[in-house]
Formats: sequence, structure tokens, C-alpha cells
Amino acid sequence: MPAADRERMQGAQDVRGDERAPLTGAATAPEGPDAVPADPGSPESDAPESEVPRDAVATVRRLWSEAAGQRWRFAIVLVSVVFYTGFSVAAPAFSARVIDVLWADIQQAFAEGRPFVVDWGHGGREILVYLGIWSAAFVFYATQTFTMAGFAERLNLALRNRIARKLNRLPLAFFDAHKPGEIVSRATNDLDKMSEVLQTGLLRLFTAVGSVVGAIVMMFVYSPLLACIFLAFSAVSIWLTKVAARKTLALAAARQAWVGHLTGAVEEAYSGRVIIRAFNRERASSGEIHGLADKLAEASWKADFLTNAAGPAIRFVGRLAQVVIAVIGCGMLVAGRLTVGTFQAFFQYIMQASEPMTQMSMTVNTLQSALASVERVFDILDEPEVEPDPAPELALHVPEPVRGRVSFEHVRFGYLPDKLLMHDVSFTAEPGQKIAIVGATGAGKTTLINLLMRFYEVNGGRIALDGVDTHAMSRAELRRNFGMVLQDAWLFDGTIAENIAYGKPDATREEIVRAAKMAHVDFFVRTMPAGYDTHVANDAENISQGQRQLLTIARVILTDPKILILDEATSSVDTRTEHAIVRAMENLTAGRTSFVIAHRLSTIVDADLILVMSAGTIIEQGTHAELLEEGGAYAALYNSQFM
Amino acid sequence: MKLLWRFLKPHRALVAVTLLVLLIDNTGTLLVPTMLANMVNTGIASGSLDHIVSGGALMLGASMLASGGALTGAFLAARLAANVARDIRCAIYDSSLAFSGGDFERFGTGSMITRSLNDINVIQQSIIATIQMVLPLPFLCVVGIIMACMIDIQMGLLLAAVTVVVLVIAAVTIKNAAPIFMRLQGLIDRMNVVLRESIIGVRVIRAFTKERREERRLDEVFSNYADSAIKVNMMFAGVDAASFLLMNFTEVAVLWLGGDRVGAHAMEIASISAVLEYAMLILFYIMAAQMVVLTLPRAKACLDRAAAVIDLEPEIRDPQGGAAGAATEGRGAAGGAGAAEAGEAVAEFDHATFRFPDADEDTLHDLHFACRRGQTTAIIGSTGSGKSTVAKLLLRFHDVTDGAVRFCGEDIRDMSQEDLRARIAYVPQKAWLFSGTVASNLRFGNEGAGEAEMRHALDVAQGHFVYELSGRLQAKVSQGGTNFSGGQRQRLSIARALMKRADLYIFDDSFSALDFKTDAALRRALRPETRDAAVLIIAQRISTILHADQIVVLKDGVVEGLGTHDELMETCEVYRAIADSQMKGGGRDAGSR
Repeated sequence: MPAADRERMQGAQDVRGDERAPLTGAATAPEGPDAVPADPGSPESDAPESEVPRDAVATVRRLWSEAAGQRWRFAIVLVSVVFYTGFSVAAPAFSARVIDVLWADIQQAFAEGRPFVVDWGHGGREILVYLGIWSAAFVFYATQTFTMAGFAERLNLALRNRIARKLNRLPLAFFDAHKPGEIVSRATNDLDKMSEVLQTGLLRLFTAVGSVVGAIVMMFVYSPLLACIFLAFSAVSIWLTKVAARKTLALAAARQAWVGHLTGAVEEAYSGRVIIRAFNRERASSGEIHGLADKLAEASWKADFLTNAAGPAIRFVGRLAQVVIAVIGCGMLVAGRLTVGTFQAFFQYIMQASEPMTQMSMTVNTLQSALASVERVFDILDEPEVEPDPAPELALHVPEPVRGRVSFEHVRFGYLPDKLLMHDVSFTAEPGQKIAIVGATGAGKTTLINLLMRFYEVNGGRIALDGVDTHAMSRAELRRNFGMVLQDAWLFDGTIAENIAYGKPDATREEIVRAAKMAHVDFFVRTMPAGYDTHVANDAENISQGQRQLLTIARVILTDPKILILDEATSSVDTRTEHAIVRAMENLTAGRTSFVIAHRLSTIVDADLILVMSAGTIIEQGTHAELLEEGGAYAALYNSQFM
Repeated sequence: MKLLWRFLKPHRALVAVTLLVLLIDNTGTLLVPTMLANMVNTGIASGSLDHIVSGGALMLGASMLASGGALTGAFLAARLAANVARDIRCAIYDSSLAFSGGDFERFGTGSMITRSLNDINVIQQSIIATIQMVLPLPFLCVVGIIMACMIDIQMGLLLAAVTVVVLVIAAVTIKNAAPIFMRLQGLIDRMNVVLRESIIGVRVIRAFTKERREERRLDEVFSNYADSAIKVNMMFAGVDAASFLLMNFTEVAVLWLGGDRVGAHAMEIASISAVLEYAMLILFYIMAAQMVVLTLPRAKACLDRAAAVIDLEPEIRDPQGGAAGAATEGRGAAGGAGAAEAGEAVAEFDHATFRFPDADEDTLHDLHFACRRGQTTAIIGSTGSGKSTVAKLLLRFHDVTDGAVRFCGEDIRDMSQEDLRARIAYVPQKAWLFSGTVASNLRFGNEGAGEAEMRHALDVAQGHFVYELSGRLQAKVSQGGTNFSGGQRQRLSIARALMKRADLYIFDDSFSALDFKTDAALRRALRPETRDAAVLIIAQRISTILHADQIVVLKDGVVEGLGTHDELMETCEVYRAIADSQMKGGGRDAGSR
């Protein structure tokens, strides 16, 4: 029963689809200390995402327009599908003829008492025509498979490239509002899901529709009675599929929930393992983890069982149908109402129709969830972008040489336009001055940096650099003048030298080493296995937070900016090293304006201007002496900390 | 692989039953085509309906056998895989508990979590797939060919030939595809790394106007991935088409040869279909098994990563035999405090030296001092001077590389870790709390503690804020204690340690997040609590340790000075430098807290 098995052959590809899922799934959990706790990038721990698209038609239409340039592939595939299903539906019908001709010839030979051998005149021609039909089907099958092999991944690549571009045009507000793992998941998991469904699901859906319709029509041609029996059983198996699919989703969700619980517990235990051991709590902790692992195993076998049992259960209904049809069909055969050929052809059509029919209802589910994935990708692409830079000819420029005078003039700002934090903030940092920013955690110290660097735009008033409105400049020109050392030092995947030279890729090795020396990180780098050529990654565990910061300081030193922003730059460096850095920074800050989110009293005391922040705005400003005199918030803060 | 056997062993019976059930499934599946053929053959020959009905009943029986086997097989395979996965997870976690800091750092928290969760999931799914799709394959091929031989020996040989060809195709595919699959895996990881980087580093990227560079980097990894993915897809499209073609020729060969054999009275007409069915079944199972086999290298890698954790011999082990227990008996874990005399050396460093396994220099060199009962010892030094390592040596999270650490006169390597740690109350540098309630955290130090004890510990630790929380002692604590401020966390962490009556209290930089007033009040309240024990305070602020009975000044792992504040101000230059820098006004954390 060849046609039947061709359908099953496609079923073999299912295994590939199934196996690809864990393949991509686990890979998205990057190994890294920072990766795991803050944001589980793995689908295992992601919050459940919608499996149903909001507007399927619109999403499909848009995807179609994204596929511009690829559409010819799609056209080829569609044409191939039509011809392939045509030939594969015709084949069993012709095989009925082959068998009947053979059987007639054999019976005739037997009746004449001579042995029978297949040759051109006796069945051979039919067999070869039959081969011809299947070969034609093969040509179209191969065409559609090869054409589709590139279609999905190319479409995928196009969308990924658009995401890459989009990421650079999204405002910082977007990144502050979304977990990194969530965004990564859009570009990886969601798009992989799409390409997988396009690759295997869609193609199969097309051929399935053709095969099912064709096969059912042919069944009715051969025997309306048997065809009706088949349809009755099919209804049962489709219903069964629906039930199984719904139950699978529920069990999978339960399993995910336990994965989440166990991940949380394990993560907590690993992070607090020193305490567990110091307090002799190993047994209690082990018991807790074992309990959760057991719960997960329970939820997990249920989910796995249902996933793997749905197939056999549905197939059992199919087998029942076959038995019933075989018995009745045989009866009709004996009664002469069916030929051997048509009986076998009918069985082929059963196989041709039943597998795809159950597959179709499965495919509809995966297609839906893939569309939901694509929708999430489009959501990112539709996010509002930062307002574009002024046109080059209209952009204002700061006259060279830049002096570094920064002024806030009646600045109004809020992260939400209707919830202003700053109502009317004005101050001026004269060239070369040191500005200290103080305030409790969460007082909005980074807000100031966000505005200076134009990571966020002001809602009113203006910020000026050397008297030029920064809003009228290109961001690149503005940011070129700033050097920034952030609280969470960022290293990218590359060598230490590359990381230091990030802002000045053409820096010579001498320059890099000189910068490292100034940042007091040269010695540390030399102790690394390959010195400046040691490979590091952002989640590298062999570099402490302090050393990371030193590296980023070296990075800034190398770019030699006019204005410095030091965001708690020295908080995790020890006292003496900190002193050394402060000295290096003092050299560096000479003649440069600097904004320091300050921890150290000495920094604050020496500052030309102290900005005291609270609830996102500047509540006091002045020098140390002035503010103490004032006896306001700063004085209170100072006194509570230092008596 | 050894590891897998170890974890399969307890479930031997389950493995055997699962395989047996799957063989039943396969047998049933293989019987159906022959039965159908027989039904048609005898039906045609005899024209009797009885044969047809009894044939149908047989077919029904075989179908039920097959489906029942498949269902039971799916059930047992899922159970088996889930049990094995659970056991490996538990084993990984239990092994990790015995790890020293160095052992654990070898893997890192992130990697350990991946190893405990995702890796095991891959293994679990591979077990299911292998049991269902790969292991029954030889049986299916052999029995399929035998069934064909029973129909007709020539047909059987034809089927055997087809099977060999398909196996060769599958083997070639696996050989070619496996490396590309692994590469694809690497490219997926790479895609994730680069994406994460460009998202996490967005501020830096924009500050340096490096958007273009990031775009190029992303485009590159995306394109590399797409290229490899298309290559893999093309390869499978090729295999797909080849199987299709092979099936065409098989069909024609079977029809042609089958016609001849029927003509020669060697077999009957309907059996042609049965042979075709066997050919397709075998082809299908080989292709499916091939897909599973391709994913196995990845599962193997996951298994190896699990084995690396489970098989790691912990650096620090308890002494053999019962000697350890006997030695400490009598003093008891908590009871020692009152009985022992003041001035006794509770913890003693005897020319202790410590070096990390891969380091070129000693982290701590020739430490020689004692923490005495009733006295406060302080250690001061810059970060990287080895201060925290001193505490870790005392708790035996590391073993000295030279010299010895003694606890109440006994080398701690001769004690069991549990005994040792039962007698030390430790406040770690990082005030980590566990999710649960304030009470559940405090009970870490004393499992059976009542409310009065907890209140007392909180009072000493200046943790009065707890009484203002809704739920008070039952107030919720989130993981790590992130719903508390740094200072509150430190105070709870101190209270947790105070729940325990110990011979030695270690405070590792535990007052850093407290304001001066709280710091002072806490240390005042602490004094009567720890009167009968030794206290070790590790600190950065000089103000915290000003009144310690002895101060150890560490610099680059070497003791630079030992004495009281006044003595050190006279004699120790390093101490003076630290003091000067802090007295100038810089030392205390300022402003932003």
C-alpha cells in the first residue's frame, strides 16, 4: 500500500520537527551567572505566552509582504503541491488497474495451465506506467521540498536583520521596560518556531488538504458505503485529536510551572549555598530539592505520556476503521462487487487520508501558535522609535574645540509624560567643574545621565552643551563628547584589548596598555592567561566586578572625552585601589567637566556643585559648605551618616 | 554513558518491561499486513464469509495488541525517563552540596542551573525517543524481513536488500549531518550571546555610537545561522527525496517480482501488498530512528556535563571512620560556650597558608594568630587582601595548603564538617536570605526555636523593623531577601546567626550597610551575647573595629600588623595608611545610601 506509506514517510519528518524543539529550546538558556537569575532566557522558565494570534489574517498578510522577493518560491511550491497531490491521488487508482490486470492475466494463465511471467504485454507496461506516475509525483515532491528548504530560513533572516536594525532605533525606555531574555526570545525562539512551521507544517497542510479531498472523492467513486464508514471513524479521530491537543497544552503548562518552581529553588540554593553549608542545612535543602524534582518528574511523565500516546490512540481508531472496512470490503469482494485491485486501492486511500486528517488538526494548532509568535515579532518591529536625528545640513554643531559647559535650562521631564518628575530644573556645569550627584537609592540619579546622554528626551526646557541645544545636534556628535562609566560594567564577547579599544578601534597596543595602566588594571590583565589577548565575555566569571569597572574606565580613558559621567564607578573597588583611580581620574578630569554619582565623602566635599536628588528631581544644589549652611535635606543626610 | 547505566540500573525492571511492551507493539503492527493479505487471499479462494469474519477478528486482535503495546510503551517510557531525570537532578544537587567553593566555581552558578534543569530535560527527551524509536528498530527490521520470507523467500531477499540500502543512506546522513547539527547548535548559542550582549550593553553601545558595529555583528551571526540551517534543510530535503525515489523503485520491483512469484504459485496475489507494507514500515522506522540518532550527540554532551558534576571528587571530605565524632563529643555543638574558660583559643591559625589551585601566589601566607574566648578579633585590609578567605578557612570551605587551622585545639581536618560548622555562627559578606518568612530564615540557625528566641535575636541585631511589617515574624521574604533594604538584610542575617549558640561568631563585613548609629547600637547589644564565645569581625571601616581586643592587618595575604588600634597606629604603616584615608573623611560610605 504505497501511497499510505508515503504519508507515513512524511510522518517520519515529524520526529525531526519534534526533536528540533528541545534543540533550540535548551540552547536559549545561555550559561552565565547574570543570565539566569535576572531573566531566564530559556523558554522553560518564561511566563506563558499567548498561543493564539490576535488577528491571524492581518499577520499572515503582513508576513506575506515581508516575503517579497521570496514569493516566486512560494508560487513554485504551490504549483508543485497541486501537481504532486494530483499524481499521488491518481496513483492508487492506477494501481488498482495494475493489480486487476495482473490478477486477470494470472488467472487466465492458471486457467490455461501455464506459468505466468510478467512481461511487457502482461502487466509490465502497466507497472512501468505506474512507475511513471510516481516518478512525476517525485519530481514535484522534490521540487517543493527543495524550494521550501530555503524559503523559511531566508524569511527568518530578513526578519532578524530588521530586528537588529530596530534594536538600535528603539528608545531606552523600551529596554528599561523589557527583560533582555524576553527580547532575545523574540529574535530566536519565536522566529525559529515560525520557520519550523513554515518549513514542515505549512507544506504538509497544503499536501494534506489535497490528499484528503482527493482520497475521499476517490473512495466515494469506489464505494459510497465504505467511504461513509471511513468518514464516521474519521470524525471520531478528529474529535480525539482535539481533546488530546487541549489536554496536552494543559499538562505542558503544569510541567512548565514545576520547571519554574524547581529552577527557582535550585537557583536560590546555589546562590545561598555558603549559608546552607555554614548552617548545616544540607539535609533539609536536599530534601526540598528532591521533593520538587519528584513533583516535576510526576508532571513531566504525564505530559510526555499524553504527547506520545495521542498518536497511537488516534491510530487505533484508524485501525478499527480498517478492520471494519476490511471485513465489509472482503464481503463485497467475495460477492463480486469489488475487484481485488479496487479493494487494495481503497485501502491505500484510507491510509492516504487518515494520517493527514489527524495531522491537519494538529498543524492548525502549531500554525496558530506560530502566528502568535510572528505577531510578537511584529510587535517589536512596530514599537515607536526614537525621534530621528536632525538632517545633517540642519544639525547644529558645537564649535571646536568643545569646552564642556553643560547647562540645564528649565528642564521638565518624566518617564511617563503625564507623571512629571522634574518640573523646572536649572543648573550649569562650567567647563572643568566637578558635579557630584547625591541622593538615596532610587532617587533618580541615573535620570540625570539619561537626559545628559539623550537616552531619554526632555519634555520641556532644554539642555545645552557649550550653549548649543543638545536636541538640535545629532546624537552621535553629542555622545562623542561624553565618557561614561556605568554601575554595571559591560564587557562584550572579545579580547580584553578589543574591549578597552571599544571606543577607539584603531588604537595601538601601546595606547591600550597606557590606558590600562592609568586605570590600574594593567597588572591584573597581565595575570590573565593570554594577557591583553585573553578572551572575555559579558558573563565571564573570572573577572570580578571591580576589575570589570577598571576595564571600562580604561575604555573611557582611551577615548579622551570632554565630559565624564561616572556612575558609582568606584563602588566595588577597594579603598586603596579606589584612591589610585581617583588620582588617575583627577588627572583625567583636569580641564574636563565631570558628573559623578558619588559615594565618597571626599568627592562630594571637593565638588564644585552638589546636586541633591530625591524622587527623580533635584531638590537642592550648591557646594558642600552652602548646603550644610542651608540645613536642608543634604545636611540631614550628611548628619545621619557621619554624625 | 557509564553515568546513564548507573541511573538506569535501579529501574532495570522498568526498562525490561518497557522494551518488552514495545516489542509487542511492533509485533502487532507487523502482523496486520499479513493478516489482511490472508483475509483477501482466502476470501478470494474460498468465497466464504466465515473466513473473512474470523480474519477480521484476528486483525482486530493484532490491532489491539499493537495499540495497547504502543500506549503502554509510551506510558512506561515516559515514567522511566522522568524517573531517571529526577534521579540525575537529585544526584547533581546532592553532589553540589559537598563541593568546596573552588569545586563549585569550576562550574559557576549559571552553568550549574543549566546542568540541573535544561540539560537533564534534553537527556529525558532523548531517553524517550531512543526507547520508542531506536531500540525496537533491529527487531522490527529482522522480523519484517522474516515475515516477508515466510510469504516468499525471494520477496524476503528483496526486502533485505532494500533494508540494507536504506540503512546505508541513514548512516551516510548521520555521518554528514552530525557535525553540521553540532555547528548549528553552536550558532544558536552564539546568536543568543550576541543578542543578549547588545541588549544589556545598549547604553554603552549608544554612548560610543557603536550601533553600526552591533548591527554588523548581529547580521553576521544571523547570516551564519541561516546559512547552516539552510544547509541542514537542504540535506534533509535530499534524504527525503532519495527515500521517495527509493520507494518508487521498491514498489515497481515488488510488483514485478511479486507478479512473477504469484504466477509461479510461490505466493498469493494479496501478499504483494503485505510485502510493500513491510518495506515501507522498515523505511519509515529507519528514517525516524535516524532523526533521533542525530540528536544523541547533544544528549551525550549534556550527560557528560552532568557526569562532570556528579563524579567530581569533592576537594574537602570528612575524615574516615568515627574518630572525628568521638573527639568532639562531650563538648557538644552548642553547649561548650558556658563551660569553657575565657581566654581559651577557640580558633587558631598555625602558620596557615592558602593558595587557590590555579594561582601562582598564596592568597593567605603564614597566618599565625588565635581568636580567644571572650575576645574580639578584627581583620582589616583592602579587598583582595584575603580577608574573607580567612573566614572560609575557618568554616572549612577551603583547606589550608600549608600549616593548620585548629578549632578548640583540634585540627579542623580531623573533625567532621558538620560538627565544626555546628559550633560556628557565621554572618556572610553577602546578606543572602531565602524565600519564605522571616521566621523560616531565622530558624536556619536553630530549627526548633520558639518565638521568644527569635524576638531576642532580632532585638540584639537591631531588627525591630520586623515588628512593623505586616505579618511580623511571618512576613514574607522573597528570594535573596530582595524585598528588604541592604541594611535590613544585614540585620536579619546577623539575627539568623545569633539564633545559634556558638563557640565562634564570624562577622564578615557584616556592618557595611548599616548607618553609624545602628552599627554602634548593634555592637553594644552584641557584647553580652558573645561574652562566652570568640568573635571574629572582618571589616573595611576602621570605626567598626576600633575597640577590638586585637586587630589583624592583612595586605596581599600577609599579616602586616597585629595588635590594638593604638599599637598599630604606632607600629603599622599599612594600618596607618588605611586609617588616614578613612579619617580624612572618605572611608565611610557616604551620600548615596
